[in-house]
Amino acid sequence: MAERKVTVAAEVGLHARPAATFVQRAKKAPMDITVTKSHGGEKVNGKSILAIMALDVRQGETVVISAEGEGSEEVLDELAEIAGTP
Amino acid sequence: MTTVLAPVEGEAVRLAAVPDPVFSAGLVGPGAAIDPLRGPGKAVAPIAGKIMKLHPHAYVIVGDDGKGVLVHLGIDTVQLRGEGFQLLAAEGDRVIAGQPVVAWDPALIEAGGRSPVCPVVALDADFVSGVAEGAVHVGDELFRWD
Repeated sequence: MAERKVTVAAEVGLHARPAATFVQRAKKAPMDITVTKSHGGEKVNGKSILAIMALDVRQGETVVISAEGEGSEEVLDELAEIAGTP
Repeated sequence: MTTVLAPVEGEAVRLAAVPDPVFSAGLVGPGAAIDPLRGPGKAVAPIAGKIMKLHPHAYVIVGDDGKGVLVHLGIDTVQLRGEGFQLLAAEGDRVIAGQPVVAWDPALIEAGGRSPVCPVVALDADFVSGVAEGAVHVGDELFRWD
């Protein structure tokens, strides 16, 4: 299992455009992608815009993005960049 | 099948006509948009369910089957930080389709230099059908989600 810990930088948090961009990228990945807040809580499906909106990540909060299998590192790098973009 | 109702009165238009690429390119999901009637009004729940997220400018209702519908009141309206919007329900509330959720005035949004157009999006859906075009009243069928 590969992981990236990233602090969400966008003013709107992981909502609207950042959330849509994140989910679009995650959906292209062949493996499961999960997202959870770094301080614990539910692991949600990174390919679901509904799940990401429900997670309600605000600006400055840190999330852990996880994936497993071939190509995970590359996918996670891209997802971490999206989540960390102001 | 979920029938999604018009949350506001106005002119139903295609999502592609929304002046925000996140919606017009379908990045959030398929659906429709409504160019709302200018003047004070109440935006209602497009489906029955639970209010999963309630911001002054946007809300998500999730039905008992897990389908979530996003209603976004105007474009870039997050920047208003709630000004001009009045919440008529609370996050976590159960609502029936057609129940008022937020009071607002599209004319004020427009006067502030923003588009008051309201995207109504089927979250995580691949496609929707029966998309209305033209004049819709609150509670009219806007599209169907199979």
